[in-house]
Amino acid sequence: MPTDALLKSLHPLEVKVLLAYGQGEPFSAARLEKDLAFKPGQSNQALSWLAGKGLIKEVSRQRRLSYSLTELGRQYREKGTLEERLAALLKQEGPLSLPEIASRLAVEAKEIGSAFGAMSKAGWAAMNEAKKAVLAARAEMRETGLATIRALFALFDEKEAVGEQELSQAQAELISSYSRKRGAEKGAFRTLEREEVEYALTAGGRQAFAQLRGQGVTGEEVGVLTPELLASGAWRTARFRPYNLASPPQRVQMGRKNPYVDFLEELKDKLASLGFEEFDGPLLETEFWNSDALFMPQFHSARDIHDVYHLKRPTHARAIEQPYLDQVAAAHENGWTTGSLGWRYPFDREFTRRLILRSQGTVLSAKQLPKARVPGKYFGVVRCFRYDRVDATHLADFYQTEGIVLGEEVNLRTLLGLLKMFAVEVAGAREFKFVPGYFPFTEPSVEAHIRHPELGWFELGGSGIFRPEVTKPLGIEVPVLAWGLGIDRMALVAMGLNDLRELFTSDIEQVRLRRRK
Amino acid sequence: MPKIECSERTLFGLLGRKLERKELEELLPAAKAELDDWAGGVLKIELNDTNRPDLWSGAGLARQLRVYLGGQAPEYPFVSSASVSRDFGGRTLLVDEGLRRIRPYSVAFLADGRPIGEDLLKELIQSQEKLCWNYGRKRSSIAMGVMRGEQVKFPVRFQAADPDKTSFVPLDFDRPLTLRQILKEHPKGVEFGPLIAGFPRFPHLVDAEGRTLSMPPVINSAHLGSVKVGDTRLFVELSGTDLDSLLTACAIMACDLSDAGYAILPVKVIYPYDTPHGREIVTPFHFQKPVDMDLAGAARLLGRAIKTQEAEGALRRMGLAVKRKGEIFTVTPPVYRNDFLHPVDVVEELMIGCGMDSFQPVWPEDFTVGRLTESGLFGRRVRDLLVGLGYQEMIYNYLGSWRDLVERMNLDGGQVVEIANPMSESYELVRNSALPGLLASEAASSNAAYPHRIFEIGKVAVVDERENYGSRTFSSLALLYADREAGYNHVRSHLSSMGYYLSRDIGVREAQDPRFIAGRGGELLYKGRAIGIIGEIHPAVLDAWGIQMPCAALELDLEKLLEA
Repeated sequence: MPTDALLKSLHPLEVKVLLAYGQGEPFSAARLEKDLAFKPGQSNQALSWLAGKGLIKEVSRQRRLSYSLTELGRQYREKGTLEERLAALLKQEGPLSLPEIASRLAVEAKEIGSAFGAMSKAGWAAMNEAKKAVLAARAEMRETGLATIRALFALFDEKEAVGEQELSQAQAELISSYSRKRGAEKGAFRTLEREEVEYALTAGGRQAFAQLRGQGVTGEEVGVLTPELLASGAWRTARFRPYNLASPPQRVQMGRKNPYVDFLEELKDKLASLGFEEFDGPLLETEFWNSDALFMPQFHSARDIHDVYHLKRPTHARAIEQPYLDQVAAAHENGWTTGSLGWRYPFDREFTRRLILRSQGTVLSAKQLPKARVPGKYFGVVRCFRYDRVDATHLADFYQTEGIVLGEEVNLRTLLGLLKMFAVEVAGAREFKFVPGYFPFTEPSVEAHIRHPELGWFELGGSGIFRPEVTKPLGIEVPVLAWGLGIDRMALVAMGLNDLRELFTSDIEQVRLRRRK
Repeated sequence: MPKIECSERTLFGLLGRKLERKELEELLPAAKAELDDWAGGVLKIELNDTNRPDLWSGAGLARQLRVYLGGQAPEYPFVSSASVSRDFGGRTLLVDEGLRRIRPYSVAFLADGRPIGEDLLKELIQSQEKLCWNYGRKRSSIAMGVMRGEQVKFPVRFQAADPDKTSFVPLDFDRPLTLRQILKEHPKGVEFGPLIAGFPRFPHLVDAEGRTLSMPPVINSAHLGSVKVGDTRLFVELSGTDLDSLLTACAIMACDLSDAGYAILPVKVIYPYDTPHGREIVTPFHFQKPVDMDLAGAARLLGRAIKTQEAEGALRRMGLAVKRKGEIFTVTPPVYRNDFLHPVDVVEELMIGCGMDSFQPVWPEDFTVGRLTESGLFGRRVRDLLVGLGYQEMIYNYLGSWRDLVERMNLDGGQVVEIANPMSESYELVRNSALPGLLASEAASSNAAYPHRIFEIGKVAVVDERENYGSRTFSSLALLYADREAGYNHVRSHLSSMGYYLSRDIGVREAQDPRFIAGRGGELLYKGRAIGIIGEIHPAVLDAWGIQMPCAALELDLEKLLEA
């Protein structure tokens, strides 16, 4: 028993076929074209759909010939065959020699010869004593012959192809004579061979027929509601074909934001909502801001050629902002006025101008200090570069999320409060713990570890209170909390990925399919 | 960050008791350490503080944890200082004037009294590695040799030797080589030779009988310089360029060996030139100066009141010697630490000593206004419009290859920022344009259903002599339309819609650009200034990328467009 869903899925063409042949008589594509005025494409579609649904089955298969016009044939149909034109010329001009005919019709002599040969053989024309062609005396005979030719070509006025069963005996002979005489290439007709398949309704098809009839479905139901139906008011009496609402929809290519960018932008919104102001800066940085201002000694191992990207072009900044250069240099050399012993080595002012690719987001925190407000909260989500071999957990360039909090009264406990806020608000964690950490530019330093809903315990970020050797030379007298968050692992989890390289994939299809949980 | 391996036996033996995994994990933060792995009696531990080389051995870590758990800070009676000089038993090390500019400092001691076992030998080698590689910057500031103390005859000389006339049999070889040959032929010579190759003379350590101990910082001799299991007397010598680091490393080795049961016998080093600690130094030597910490200031930084008694206890748990005068704590760092530059360094010790759990988080209370950058917000408006126009946003890496950023783009590379030390050819340039990323996507995505409309908003950098940094970084928008029918007009229409909703009138002027088909490429103009490019990508460019679909694209400087 065909289901309701199956019946609803029937196309109007299918419905029409089922209704027309419900009594059990066989049918073919050609029959559909004749009986139901289907176009050839439509009949084939309807048959294949119905067969696919098991509503009809093949009962027989027969070879059929049909004919269509070649380019030459189309010329004959429009301008007349050579015989017709020759006859018309002789009728108008009287007897003419074959070369004269060839030149008048602008046709090669050879072709005129064979056309005249065919005509004289059929008794329509003859050669007189002066070796000139004349029409045969028996007019009715030649008129009948020409009418046969015309009728044959007229068959093709309506159709592309004519089946052999549609041809009279005389027409069939004519076609074969044209084909034989002119050869395959130059013939006026092309022979097409195809199989004609006959179908009949299956038991399911007959049941579908009965159900359709019972429901009064005609196949004439309205498919698309058109502006014309609305304008004319015909919708009032129209019956609308029901759709199969459960059929799988087509996929659409839509414009869309990148889910990783979205993740980063939401993080920025979150931080802004917590009262942080965003900062940003150039990809190329000086050694000064990247490390010297952060009180990392110029001989620090993390500053070596194997850890940061040096540049071939451009190589150096022209100048470093004063008085920060002098103050930072003094902090390195002897602690300046910070109360520190300093690193006690001669600060290299040439080296400090050298350009590198920003290796840590903290650079921008340091750069923000001279222009920061107190109290103030700042952050940046910025691209940094590391001298690392690229693999699933390392990228040559990646995002770091960093920031600072300045205030007269900030201290270790407010730092822990800040970390707790990030754990709860940014990472959605309920459990967290703090352990002592180490960063060259903060003292004390604290790491926040959280229990992420999906990742389990991991280090959410590092933080600390900037060393006075960092803040004082940059003109800041209040304590400054500095923090950084590791967000890439959370980003991977949010998108169901496990390889950092996928965040920056080139593959359009992957990005189109990617979605957040 | 340094990672060490140590045997359960060493760690728990020196700690005085065995710990369960959970106990150990809870204790390790006191040394800023994390347990990576614990299997087969071996612990793998990561140490986070790069200024605490004393923790990079089982003995050092055990010392820190032992004291933290309530033990006494150990006494090391073999240590000399500016005020106390220990008996050096006539053992001297004479430094030659010629080393002043090559490798000016050497320090040494003997460890005596126990046959060395395999475990300890392995740990010694590890300590040596960590100290010289991580703390000594790959032997440039610290190199260390552990030699057969039984056979060394004093005085030992640290001299600057003629590299072509001096030879010895280096470790792992069986024939003598000149010092210069060692740099070429010995693997360690190849690795560490560059530290001394530029000098006319090379550092050379010999004993009183003229026998070679080592050629610092490269290699020991195969005879006196090759310690064997069962040796009972070790000669430890360190040379380098920074005396304080050297003394710290020397003390770390001496204290570790002392903890392992050895008697430490000092050596007097005699310099022909001034050093920060004089011309004669008996090593191991305590040079660390006391640091004063004001408890009130510390409490302000830590956010809660701390009683003097609590503070004293906390600092002692951290192994620090403390003297107090009212609120002022005078803290003397132990001989094996050199990480106290500022009173805040003591504040951190105080924090760890008190325990992190004793500090309760306080929600930040200062009111501040949150705000995003203008450029970022403008970028968001652009993104929203492009998404509405049917574009998929992409995001790419910023480093690229000469081939992708220059050759395939039909450019000459004149404005591109170049990396001097690329890790690989794939990451040798900072991108000067976001278009190559989009084309790389197109090249990799011919299987994705068309049309492809993609864009990226991201940073690019170009060389610019007028700027202080010799370059300019800016936010760039690039978009690409790839399809059978894709052409200039599509992209121009999209640009026009975008410009309309941004209230910005963007014009186009034909211009020669080798990336585009001639006559179908131009410059984008805003307020009379060129801010970008637009056009149909040249077939030569498409061909170079292996793309078989027409593409039209544009790229513009969002910061120039932002200027109202």
